[in-house]
Amino acid sequence: MLACFASASCLVTQTTGGLISGMLLFLVAAGLSLIFGTLKVINFMHGSLYMLGAYFAFTIYNVTGSYALAVLGAALGVGLFGLVFERLFMSRVYGTDVLMQLLVCYSFILILDDAVKIIWGAEFRSMGMPAAFQRPPIMVAGGVLPVFYLFLIGITVLVALVLGFLITRTRIGKIVRAAAVNPTMASALGINTTMVYAGVFALGSLLAGLAGALAVPVRSLVAGMGFSILIESFIVTVIGGMGSVAGALVGALLIGLVRSFGSIGFPLFTEGIMFLFMTLILITKPTGLFGKEL
Amino acid sequence: MRKPSIGRDALVAVALLALLAALPMIFPAKSFADFVMRASAFAIFATSLNLLVGYAGMVSFGHGLFFGLGAYSFALLMQKLGTSIPVAFALTVFINALVAAIIGAICVPLKEIYFSFLTLAFQMLLYSLIIAWTAITGGDQGLTGGVPRPPFLGVHLDDPHHLYLFCCTTLVVSLFLMWHLVQSPFGYTLRMIRDNPRRASFLGIQVWRIRVLAFIVAGVFGGIGGVLISLFVSSAYPDFAYWTVSGEAVFMIMLGGVSVFFGPLVGAALLLLLNDLITRVTEHYSLVLGVVILVFALGLRKGLVGFVMQAWRKYAPAAPGPGKNPGTQGRH
Amino acid sequence: MLKIENLQKSFGGISAISEVSLHFAAGSLTAVIGPNGAGKTSFFNLICGALRPDGGRILLDGENIAGLSAPAIVRRGIGRAFQIASIFPSLSVREAILGAVNAHHRWHARLGRRFPLTVAKPQADEVMELVGLTAQADTLSGNLSHGDQKVLDIALALALEPRVLLLDEPTAGMGPEERRRMMETVRQLWQRKKMTLIFIEHDMDIVFKFAQTIRVLSYGRVLAEGTPEEVRRHPRVIEAYLGARYDAEHPP
Repeated sequence: MLACFASASCLVTQTTGGLISGMLLFLVAAGLSLIFGTLKVINFMHGSLYMLGAYFAFTIYNVTGSYALAVLGAALGVGLFGLVFERLFMSRVYGTDVLMQLLVCYSFILILDDAVKIIWGAEFRSMGMPAAFQRPPIMVAGGVLPVFYLFLIGITVLVALVLGFLITRTRIGKIVRAAAVNPTMASALGINTTMVYAGVFALGSLLAGLAGALAVPVRSLVAGMGFSILIESFIVTVIGGMGSVAGALVGALLIGLVRSFGSIGFPLFTEGIMFLFMTLILITKPTGLFGKEL
Repeated sequence: MRKPSIGRDALVAVALLALLAALPMIFPAKSFADFVMRASAFAIFATSLNLLVGYAGMVSFGHGLFFGLGAYSFALLMQKLGTSIPVAFALTVFINALVAAIIGAICVPLKEIYFSFLTLAFQMLLYSLIIAWTAITGGDQGLTGGVPRPPFLGVHLDDPHHLYLFCCTTLVVSLFLMWHLVQSPFGYTLRMIRDNPRRASFLGIQVWRIRVLAFIVAGVFGGIGGVLISLFVSSAYPDFAYWTVSGEAVFMIMLGGVSVFFGPLVGAALLLLLNDLITRVTEHYSLVLGVVILVFALGLRKGLVGFVMQAWRKYAPAAPGPGKNPGTQGRH
Repeated sequence: MLKIENLQKSFGGISAISEVSLHFAAGSLTAVIGPNGAGKTSFFNLICGALRPDGGRILLDGENIAGLSAPAIVRRGIGRAFQIASIFPSLSVREAILGAVNAHHRWHARLGRRFPLTVAKPQADEVMELVGLTAQADTLSGNLSHGDQKVLDIALALALEPRVLLLDEPTAGMGPEERRRMMETVRQLWQRKKMTLIFIEHDMDIVFKFAQTIRVLSYGRVLAEGTPEEVRRHPRVIEAYLGARYDAEHPP
């Protein structure tokens, strides 16, 4: 692995690979963090939303041939799914045991995993690069930079900026933050907390679905693909700080790069390093790099 | 409160064991014995998790780590080192205790949801380790070559009847020990910490230390469940460390009733029955199980045994049990 | 017995306790009074280890306990009851007090012995009897009335056989008759156990009736100290807290 640092082309390839992993992870983690920060529940089935996003995009692309439509459709579709899930199921277990919330989410992971197998089959599927991106990659210092990667990074950065802006500068953002900090007070001030919760959950789901849709050209699809990204998202929020978009970005990029460089070395190296980081942060700054006290 | 006595509890345990031993004469089918053996493994595992969840108020999402660790440690010790079964058993207990101490020390100081998720993260770390370290663990195929069962002290675990009795005995002894633990001052301290950790520290209790101890005990018994399952299947599979094991254990606890000591035991038996039923009817096991869990989580909250116990409590004096809903940890 | 020297505590630039120096004689029954926000509860929190002081010393029989953790301070003989009863809702009264007794004897981590230990049980029974909760022994703590919960809170602290007992508003939330009964119980406990008892109280009738000495805090500083007679006449206390008419309306 150390040889890679000496080779510019290897560095470029691995770095860009790590960047896109990080970007996808950021979208998922941001959604998770948003939901947790506002609703105070861990959406344990968040990984399944990512999976749904991927499968939705896969199907829409195969049917329409338009990747743009696929991404849009998948994101909105999963956002809608998240909304329905929150309204019909999750909201019933707000305020109860976290174990009950866990069970509700766990049941959906099981249901969705099987549903995906039934509808799309249990084998690995892949989409390949959408027609729009089938161009020669950009060569940087001898390393390969597929055009799609640029697109993915660009979209994610855009989303991050919009998200940050939404939360900090707009009235909606203020309302969400108010409801997060003190729901009773917010409600007394006339804020419809039910709508806020539903909206935030839908947004978080949308982000996960978007990530899934963006992942399809570069990852293979299989039922259960969401779980490992759930765990990683959690590690990202631990490192970056729960409730912080900037933290999620930094944490996700860190993990993405570690994964990328680690994968060319000893495979377990990445897991170990990730856990090392996480443990270090937990010991030194338990609220995360950018986090505030829960 | 009725005066608890070890003697009486021991008598009950022996009677239970005798009953379990006699059952195969009434139900001679092999599937019955198999069911009881599997249920034993999961009952011990689920009860050990309830020590954390129900009694100590520590919601661990990653308890399956110890199930898998127990299974693989035992199987590998038997297979690669050729030790005797009692030695492998003891070493497995030791390994689980050590790992639990380390992970507990890292996770316990954390706030509720962080604790929960971090335990899960550690479990998945073990899972990744198992999958990746193909040379030793056989990777995603599981351990091949079987687990040798050399005789010890006149016990031949190759004999299915002996194996059955061994599982039942381990079950009864483990439950007895855990029951004894929750009746001891330590058990009540766990409940105090669950109810009000701040007050407990104002009674001079070092909450962190007690929690880590509880984590270690739970990890040890979780591992014993793993030993039984590995003996039963004569192997060890990565599934034993997959997160679904933890999820199912939570469901077992909720099914049987988190507020009752024997709830997880009942829940384990029920879930295994349910699993068998489902797999007989359809191949879409996860879908059906998911729906069942969902219906349960939205509907029945107290679990079946808890439901019964509530009715019982109206007519009988308060029996020692974990008490109300598990509280939250919190940092102080 | 308990000597506070130059205690300081600030929260983010706002000083909650400034240069508080007080002395509590062994076996005394002292009331700590003062307007809301005077720092009374912070004062208690600092003594029993819930807060770390920024400066100063807290000497318990000569040993400086400032900055030690709550369990460590508790083990040195300081017991605390809370303004809002802090109890164990799922345990019965007897179980909770037994738990406290066990903790006191450091038996709380014992695995071996069954719960009603031969030594612990009579001690727990005695505590229950002292506070008058024996009739409720098997009631779940969470099901007790508010007043009984406050009594249980005190009982839990008592089970530790403290040398110094801090009671934070023991009569909070009670009606006048209940208050008197509570304070009577407290006084009897104090007489029987011969401990140093310090209580925060807002009801001046109670304070002047039951306290041996009084310490007045205001804005984090000591405003006055002395016997009830001295304090009720103290011009600064009257000005800051009691109001000029109090003495006229409430003759001693």
